[in-house]
Amino acid sequence: MPENTLKKAALLTAGIVVFALIALEISLRLQGIKIAYDDGPSLWSHHRDMVYESKEKTVVFIGSSRMKYDLDIPTWRENTNCHAVQLAIEGSSPRLVLEDLANDLNFKGRLVLDATEGLFFSNRGNKRPNENIKYYHARTPAQQSSFELNRILESQFVFLDKDNFSLNARLDALEIPSRPGVFMMPIFPSDFNQNTFDRQMYMTDRFERDTNLQNQVSGIWKLFGKMAQGAPPMPDDELNAIFQSTKVDIDKIKARGGEVLFLRPPSSGPALMGEKMGFPREKYWDRLLAYTGCPGIHYADYPAMDHFICPEDSHLKRPDAAVFTAQIIQILEQEKGWKLH
Amino acid sequence: MVFNSYTFLAFFAVILVLHHLPLTWTTKKVNLLLASYIFYAAWNPPFILLLWLSTVVDFYVGKALYTQENPHKKKLLLVVSLIGNLGMLIFFKYGTFLLDNFVLMVNAMGLDYHPAKPNIILPAGISFYTFTTLCYTIDMYYKKSEPVKSMLDFSLFVTFFPHLVAGPIVRPPQLVPQFESPRTATQKQMMDGLFLLSLGLFMKVVLADGMLAGTADTIFGTKDWLPAMDAWAGVLAFSGQIFFDFAGYSTCAIGVALCLGFVLPQNFNYPYAAIGFSDFWRRWHITLSAWLRDYLYIPLGGNRHGVRRMYFALMITMLLGGLWHGANWTFVVWGGLHGLYLWVEKFFRDKRAAHTGESLRATKPWLGFFYAFLTFMLVNITWVFFRSSTFEKAWQMLQAMFGMGMECKPELTSLALLKVAIVIPAMLITHWFMRNTKVLDVAHQLSWWKLGLVWSTLLLLLIWAQESSSSFIYFQF
Repeated sequence: MPENTLKKAALLTAGIVVFALIALEISLRLQGIKIAYDDGPSLWSHHRDMVYESKEKTVVFIGSSRMKYDLDIPTWRENTNCHAVQLAIEGSSPRLVLEDLANDLNFKGRLVLDATEGLFFSNRGNKRPNENIKYYHARTPAQQSSFELNRILESQFVFLDKDNFSLNARLDALEIPSRPGVFMMPIFPSDFNQNTFDRQMYMTDRFERDTNLQNQVSGIWKLFGKMAQGAPPMPDDELNAIFQSTKVDIDKIKARGGEVLFLRPPSSGPALMGEKMGFPREKYWDRLLAYTGCPGIHYADYPAMDHFICPEDSHLKRPDAAVFTAQIIQILEQEKGWKLH
Repeated sequence: MVFNSYTFLAFFAVILVLHHLPLTWTTKKVNLLLASYIFYAAWNPPFILLLWLSTVVDFYVGKALYTQENPHKKKLLLVVSLIGNLGMLIFFKYGTFLLDNFVLMVNAMGLDYHPAKPNIILPAGISFYTFTTLCYTIDMYYKKSEPVKSMLDFSLFVTFFPHLVAGPIVRPPQLVPQFESPRTATQKQMMDGLFLLSLGLFMKVVLADGMLAGTADTIFGTKDWLPAMDAWAGVLAFSGQIFFDFAGYSTCAIGVALCLGFVLPQNFNYPYAAIGFSDFWRRWHITLSAWLRDYLYIPLGGNRHGVRRMYFALMITMLLGGLWHGANWTFVVWGGLHGLYLWVEKFFRDKRAAHTGESLRATKPWLGFFYAFLTFMLVNITWVFFRSSTFEKAWQMLQAMFGMGMECKPELTSLALLKVAIVIPAMLITHWFMRNTKVLDVAHQLSWWKLGLVWSTLLLLLIWAQESSSSFIYFQF
């Protein structure tokens, strides 16, 4: 093939690729879709690296998805002089991250632990905490610089959203019926799980309005609830071991001058009913505070926070998250004596 | 850094610009050398010291080996080089494995010995650059080629970033002469190189990581007994994954080097279209097979000392070749199975040749395809040992594959099965029809607009995949 022909092929390639990407980007933006960031191990590690900032300037948050939806980072930023480091991972217990921080001798800061019982007291959950922790401790300079370059691109292009627009995400969205006996992870609508660079998750305006979308996610929680009901109850010795390991980890942090506080974020509707039945407060929340000797904030104890209605029963919409976060800041400062200014 | 990362794309763009500036050839080589060290240090900077040590020792030992006339001193120098290179490899790669086996042995003898677990990190690509430097000193010992005159050229030969971490394993005569005179890529080489880089990234990111890795990981990661369909799907997915991953890396490496004006040897030639196992090893990881043939099989006697010695040399070569891939007995069994296959093939070939005077050959295309398919299926059996972390898991997989599983629980979704059912047959058909061609030859036969359509499809799928920059499987070897 003559050089000129190869050059023509390369130019055609460049033209098609640029045209297709511009067309895709415009089409997504016209649908009102906003920039979102891939919440993979590299973004988590970027934030994990921030836990070493001075205790007075930082509060670290760990937990599951409720922590990510309910803590509104712009509100936190506006109302404090502290940096909120969001390390919560959806669908998982925070205990693995707690253990990682407890074993990190350089971490001496303030920590808020999401104690959503169904996940906190679970030994199952997903693999992400392990993957993230492993990635953080083994990440290479090349991975760090790739993250920085990726950050620039992700901040410009809507189509770079792995969870919603990647090839595999689109194939998964086809929801091809699975074989009998094979569990297929339900697909969340993209309007439900938008992720910011600060690792805050939020629902879009469309999700807040569209009851079909809300019912779709609510149905997923019901499915998970049914699965949990089908599982054998946790034996007492296993539950006791969770309390013990949590206390051991917390004591390590406290011994270095760190502070730990538990937070129970709101839920509503069938999710709240199920949680009340499955995790009676005195057996879990009250015991957790008493056993570990840590302060706690339970949303139900504060009239300003006990009335939230979660659109899909489990997470706050963004305007409510802002109110919730402002209340948390107030309680932390006035009642728990945390200096955030 | 890995080829499938933004860091590499930025790094490569800078290198291309520097390489095309009007600088002296020596300055360009220094640039390439520094770039190669940055490429390597981007994993774990301290390990660059090992690379320097290996380079300096082998440069001077190689020179001394070539000029030394005293046979005793010459042997001593070779031993120094072997101890230096293999010692480093054994310590970093096999240290924990050897200690574990030693502890098992002494415990079996009744001694209660439980040392602390050593925490040894494997330097990226150590198996590859050790083989690169070893072949140089062995060549010097046998005076197979001239010693490299300049330290800069030798350092670049060892460290040249496209081949440094996962090959192709280059020999001095293949690369060193290319450093001796100024070269930049022609426009054709540049376009070919960019096309190969796109193809290699497509193979790795879209096919290996995007379509097959999840299925292979699920199946080899489960502790449950599997139905035969799931077990086979997992093994087939892995056979595709490892090909696309490693051949993808090699294709990228060759493409990147070509963009700079250098030609690296071919490392894969449609291996799943191989008819028989000697053909498979002429098509799979070609540079390693050739290395093992020239520096292990032939020195062990090859086929020069009768049939028994040949069978012995063949098996030892395959067992050590297996161990080269990883510090686990499962890799040794993988190599042993290939050795066994080669024995059986050799036996039947020799028998047929003795009877008819002809070697075994597929005379009809459909028969050839049948033999190739049979070879592929037998290769899949070996992958079970290669991918399984323990023998227990490997046996469980094999039993499941042949329908002997108990209380089976299906694991794979319809979509996962569908991906395997589309990608693997497409791979086999492509290999069969391309088995006697080269990808660039086929690309050159296409009209410019057809090539443009193919190339842009590869790139769009690559961008669409949005797979994170996961490591290549062969980096761990």
